[in-house]
Amino acid sequence: MTVTGAGLTNLEGHTDYDIVWPWTRPEGLRAGTTAVLRVKDEAPSLPFVLPPLLRACDHVLVVDNGSTDGTPEVTAETAERVGLSNRLTQTSYPFQVARAGAEHLAVHERSVHSLAYFYNWCFAQVTTRYSWKWDGDMVLTTEGEVSIADLGWAMGSGVPGAQSIVRVPRHGLYLESDRKGYLDLGLRNAEEWGFPVGPDFVFTKAFEWEIRTTPDPVRSIGLPHGLCVELKYLDGDEFAHWTDPESFATSYRNKRKRREWTVYNALLRGEVLPGVHEIEAPVGVHVVDHVTRDWLPHAPRPLQVGLD
Amino acid sequence: MSNPGPNPSSEDALIDSATYPRKVLFVAGAGRSGTSTMAGLMRILGLHVPQPEVDADDTNPKGFGEPRWVVDHHDRLLKEALVQVSDARPEAWFETGRVSTREPERIRTAEWLESHFDVNPELVVKDPRLSWFLGLWRVAAIRTGATPVFATMLRPPAEVVGSKQTYYANKLGSAHLVASWLNMLLHTERATRVSVDEDGVADGGRVFVRYGDLLDDWVKTTMHVAETLQLQHVLHCDSEQIRDGHRFVDPGLRRMQQTLGDLELPSRLHDLTAATWDELNKLADPGGDTPAVHAALDELREAYVDLYEESAAISRSSVVATEQRLKRQLRADNPPADERRGVERLPHGVRAAVPPSVRKGLRKMAGRERVEDQ
Repeated sequence: MTVTGAGLTNLEGHTDYDIVWPWTRPEGLRAGTTAVLRVKDEAPSLPFVLPPLLRACDHVLVVDNGSTDGTPEVTAETAERVGLSNRLTQTSYPFQVARAGAEHLAVHERSVHSLAYFYNWCFAQVTTRYSWKWDGDMVLTTEGEVSIADLGWAMGSGVPGAQSIVRVPRHGLYLESDRKGYLDLGLRNAEEWGFPVGPDFVFTKAFEWEIRTTPDPVRSIGLPHGLCVELKYLDGDEFAHWTDPESFATSYRNKRKRREWTVYNALLRGEVLPGVHEIEAPVGVHVVDHVTRDWLPHAPRPLQVGLD
Repeated sequence: MSNPGPNPSSEDALIDSATYPRKVLFVAGAGRSGTSTMAGLMRILGLHVPQPEVDADDTNPKGFGEPRWVVDHHDRLLKEALVQVSDARPEAWFETGRVSTREPERIRTAEWLESHFDVNPELVVKDPRLSWFLGLWRVAAIRTGATPVFATMLRPPAEVVGSKQTYYANKLGSAHLVASWLNMLLHTERATRVSVDEDGVADGGRVFVRYGDLLDDWVKTTMHVAETLQLQHVLHCDSEQIRDGHRFVDPGLRRMQQTLGDLELPSRLHDLTAATWDELNKLADPGGDTPAVHAALDELREAYVDLYEESAAISRSSVVATEQRLKRQLRADNPPADERRGVERLPHGVRAAVPPSVRKGLRKMAGRERVEDQ
């Protein structure tokens, strides 16, 4: 996608949801960073996800997409609890968005039902010069929080030389109960989550999901392993946002999703695969807090990640 | 007796450093701002400066309080990032931040820090280069189970610049030195700013200390630092340590008394520096570290970035001319292979292995026969 003009219109003609690129607004962009979360039924995870993110970023934008579990209320309560409501903005996107995989592939990127259009609309609400694309189940460790914060203010200054994308490794944390979980360090995986806000960095369509454009060349920074976990609930449906398992059955691009499918189903059978660590939190401590504030920050470095 | 007083065994615990939690005091700020005095006092009052440290010299006869390893570590990282100790470029923060994300550097820094907790659970780390790597040290503290705390020294920029010119024979102009001071202080303030909530975060707090206050009444000033940052050694130091503190602090250390007006800076730089100094001063007042001051400093930081970018754009021709001069110099020192004659591209050893008669024939074929002296 080549960005020209002030924004995008959608195929369905919903003018209320036309996209205005934020850098074209008269007031321009301000220094700082914004984390953008597109969420649907993430009420159980957000009390863990939001506090470190609110501390690490200047702003957090939560876009609800049809939640029925009280996600907006939990979001507001969590920000209030940590005294950082002034950094939170909530909004909603009313259209059903295509699930990753075959369903996504069938939708045009200018449709309001497209993941690419949805993301572009969300990030068009950002007013800062740097952005983090974040999921409603990704929890920063203590080290992750300070790493994001320290990089963020330097990159959010908007200085030309600081235009860079950031890759953040994450590790699945499968929750059996409040005190017991399974941390998967069996896969080396880091995705691009940090991007400058500007015409070179917008969303377009890829095969299974959306992809963000970058200029060529672009500088890229990779954070170390062990800074972020992704919560998975063994009693939930972790693959509902995919069309079906066949959608991630073959391509190399989907190896993370296949690993998750394998680990998840093995744990349901009572089997702990190589690379997966069974972790029990001390009495009175939630396993997510234990893993992100103690277990991972104090694990020997370099962290042993991957199966080889 | 109705009030027997505190339990003697619990009182003994107050001076048993084995019971103190791990803490690292990072003393930040521009060089020549009293960072050595702060680090030296903290050492006298019980914190540990990791050894060995940089030797005292004429510029700082009472010692720097700088661990040798930290200085060397920072020097190497600054070279990697192509950043100077006094660097006025706002983007330099991104470059040092990028280096600080590297896992080998995080491991190296944490291992060094860990090795000194055997001596004392409360350490003080100071180096004029420290501000560039606060993020790296924060991670090292987290990995070693320590709480990082920050003390930033404040001294009027005109005095810092005057002191640097006197003690370091700095050939750079005042404008550059003041711009470097602005870049350092505006970003150090941002780097040590944290959000604290009931869950607790990694940082244990920060203080800003005026060099003048430290020299005028170091007892009051260091107690404020200790109470704010919960430095157990200072809170429970003994009489002899206090006497040593008085022997150490010399109010005459503040020899520079020039004002900002004396520096004859460009007007925008002058105004920005004066406004920044005013706001930083508020941070050193009791209860002065407020969101309103942060917002004012955010605006000043943006204004400085704008000023620097404008200045860089205006002076672009100077950069291009310097690049061309360096390229020419590089070419002169290392002529490209294709500018040498074919035979000269061969290593000397290979050329020497060719018999003289064959060499003569080859020269004849190439039309380069030697003219023999008559």
